[in-house]
Amino acid sequence: MRLVATSVTALALLAADLSGQADVIAVRGGTVHTATGPAIENGTVLIRDGRVAAVGAQVSIPADARVLDAAGKTVIPGMIDNHSHIGARTTDLNDRPMLIGPQHRFLDALDPDDEAFADAVEGGVTTIVTGPGSGENVSGMAIVMKTFGEDLGARILLEHGGMKFAMGAKGGQRYPTTTMGVAANLRQYLIRTQEYVASWRRWEEGGREGPPPARDLGYESMAEVLDGRTYVRAHVHSATDVATLIRLKDEFGFDLTLHHSTEAYKLAPELAERGITAVVLPLGDRIGLSEDAMEGPYILWRNGVKIAMHTDAPVISQKWLRLCAAIAMRYGIPEDEALKTVTINAAEIARVDDRVGSLEVGKDGDVVVFDGPWYEPSSRVDWVIGDGRVVFDRSEAGRGDGR
Amino acid sequence: MRARVWFRVGTLAVQSTVGLALVSGSMTASAQEVVAIRGGTVLPISGPPIAGGTVLIREGKIAAVGADVSVPGGARVIDATGKYVMPGIVDAMTSLGVSASDLNDAADPITPEQRIIESYYPYGEFGHGGLAPLRNREALSGGVTTMYVAPADAALIGGQGAVVKTAGSDLAKVTVLEPAAMDMTLGTPPKEAARGRERDPYTRMASMAMLRQELIRAQEYQRRRAESPEAPRDLGMEALGLVLDRNIPVRLQATSATDIRAALRLSEEFGFDLILDGANAAWEFRDELVDRRIPVVLGQVSHPYVSNEEIPNTEDYPPVDESTPARLTEAGVETAIASFSRAFGTLAPAGTGKWLLIDASIALGYGMTEQQVLRALTLIPARIMRIDARVGSLDVGKDADVIILDGPPLSVRTWVERVWVDGVEVFVREGVGS
Repeated sequence: MRLVATSVTALALLAADLSGQADVIAVRGGTVHTATGPAIENGTVLIRDGRVAAVGAQVSIPADARVLDAAGKTVIPGMIDNHSHIGARTTDLNDRPMLIGPQHRFLDALDPDDEAFADAVEGGVTTIVTGPGSGENVSGMAIVMKTFGEDLGARILLEHGGMKFAMGAKGGQRYPTTTMGVAANLRQYLIRTQEYVASWRRWEEGGREGPPPARDLGYESMAEVLDGRTYVRAHVHSATDVATLIRLKDEFGFDLTLHHSTEAYKLAPELAERGITAVVLPLGDRIGLSEDAMEGPYILWRNGVKIAMHTDAPVISQKWLRLCAAIAMRYGIPEDEALKTVTINAAEIARVDDRVGSLEVGKDGDVVVFDGPWYEPSSRVDWVIGDGRVVFDRSEAGRGDGR
Repeated sequence: MRARVWFRVGTLAVQSTVGLALVSGSMTASAQEVVAIRGGTVLPISGPPIAGGTVLIREGKIAAVGADVSVPGGARVIDATGKYVMPGIVDAMTSLGVSASDLNDAADPITPEQRIIESYYPYGEFGHGGLAPLRNREALSGGVTTMYVAPADAALIGGQGAVVKTAGSDLAKVTVLEPAAMDMTLGTPPKEAARGRERDPYTRMASMAMLRQELIRAQEYQRRRAESPEAPRDLGMEALGLVLDRNIPVRLQATSATDIRAALRLSEEFGFDLILDGANAAWEFRDELVDRRIPVVLGQVSHPYVSNEEIPNTEDYPPVDESTPARLTEAGVETAIASFSRAFGTLAPAGTGKWLLIDASIALGYGMTEQQVLRALTLIPARIMRIDARVGSLDVGKDADVIILDGPPLSVRTWVERVWVDGVEVFVREGVGS
């Protein structure tokens, strides 16, 4: 009896050890940037059962909480990379023969064990939009997911995380080879989608008499774009193509986010007026843009366009998402607004701001603690908390220093 | 160190040990100006920081550096109070200023006779405009005053690289050292280029065999020429002769451990001086690198993949480890950090020199000191490229390549405000009064 009891206790201890996690974590004493409110000096973030339970300067810490001492450190929400391609083999990103392939779903290519996720976590990126590439004019449905965790179901926030468009001729010698051809081809497909939806509606409204229209996965997926269940994520560089996208939006009424958005700043007022958001360059320090274009994110922001940053990982490592925001700061975006571009703005654009993107009570317990300002390249991530568990602890990480 | 300059006169390769002043040449009118940069925190790199120091520039050279420098009457005085003053950055690997179509010869993977200086365009544009006009102002805006210009990495032997200043349009004056090295590449880039054209080398074995054969040919050529001076000349063989005679080093891009191992083997077999480029996997070889005094030029800390692939092939580019520069430096390997700027008017990878300071500041968080990081961007690349008699630190007699920053050099919030090259003020940031 006694032996059994001991074993049970041992097992319980072992279980606690294995998870290594308290139910309650208090990140205490840091400078807390919530992304939606003013900075809190000497603030505490309390996380219970995977969610943010309290944030403020006067938070009482329960006795059973694991306390992370963040004195002198910077605390921000888990960051969100709004545009990346990790979690799939590069050969699975583009199906070039199918120039318009909305039926492709990134989820079907997902490898949740991709080592790139560890880089993201190490850099404080806890949520990402990851999706197909830009080798076709419509390359498929992105997903929104957490970068950590064993349970894939729990990791996925949105399976229908946005329809990827990519402007520019993609087909080599095949039609369309011109900018205007790409526009015409997209417009034709959207019209066919409208007709497809109408044929189904006629069938439904006609009392479902006779055989139903033939199902077409492509039009079904694009129909989600037209009725607002999802939205368009459009890879675009030139102002000409930005103008085309604005026209298509005006014609078809879909929600639109520009991606890369290199010359979007040239149409900033038109974008602001329509509520079109923009996920922008600079991609860290890797892309050789002119100073004019480097100022683009600032111009968009100043004009009231909601912007977010992206790494395009693996184009640059997701770890350096914050560097994208930091570089944008250099061109005039204030610190807290720059932080939004990798937190709340990115969450709103990805349609997951009910879950992530800020340190607010009830949101997912995704928190990053830096040993210095979040925007300085020389600062290091000390802890990353994801869904209320410590998913990265620099003092225990084998990487980096002195290996 | 060899303060030796290579000139080619007509078709004849002439090895001359003429003074370096020849290359820096005559000064422009403004280079005659005496400039005193006063009151800033001076980071000479070769020595400790000097608070409230003065840097005196005269006739294009550093005339004095220190806390107690008397400023001659008539000098233009720049007040650098609250600012930082340091030598211009030396970017040890770029392919800037060269048209994309001129970077490698499409017809041949082995072109030691080709000299990048003959493709180099010093007049301001670094590319083809379009979405990414890489103007030389871009390099200056990051404080880069000297850079190595190389053929691209699609060839096994791309040709002879040059060291140039980033300002000035007179090619003779902007050239610091030419040829500065022989550029070679192992690994994927030459393989991919060759496969695209259905020619050798398809494999690493073929790459090494071809390099070895070429160097053996060069040895035989040297013997033949020594025996019979009237034997036909061959420019490629002559250029490889410079390598065999250790007059110029080989800069060998080797990103994977396999390629580094091969590079070490090749240099041992043929006795040439080796500089490893993009060798992010060099840690494994640190002891040999220290023993054989082989330096390493790393790519950007955040993105050390030095080739032009948008998505790096993980087989050839080992996972990023930002502590590599710190650990190599600590182990005693001479380690520089360079931009490997290789974008040409497209949105291809291009960490231009504009971002070198910001990128390298990442290394601070991974164990390097500020002094170590700054050395890896200035004096160390200058030493590796054998031009430290002229650039890389603020020492009396060196070229007056000086930059002023409005804050600590290793912060993302800091901007380069002013740049002098050879004593000429060539960059002033918009909004900074003169």
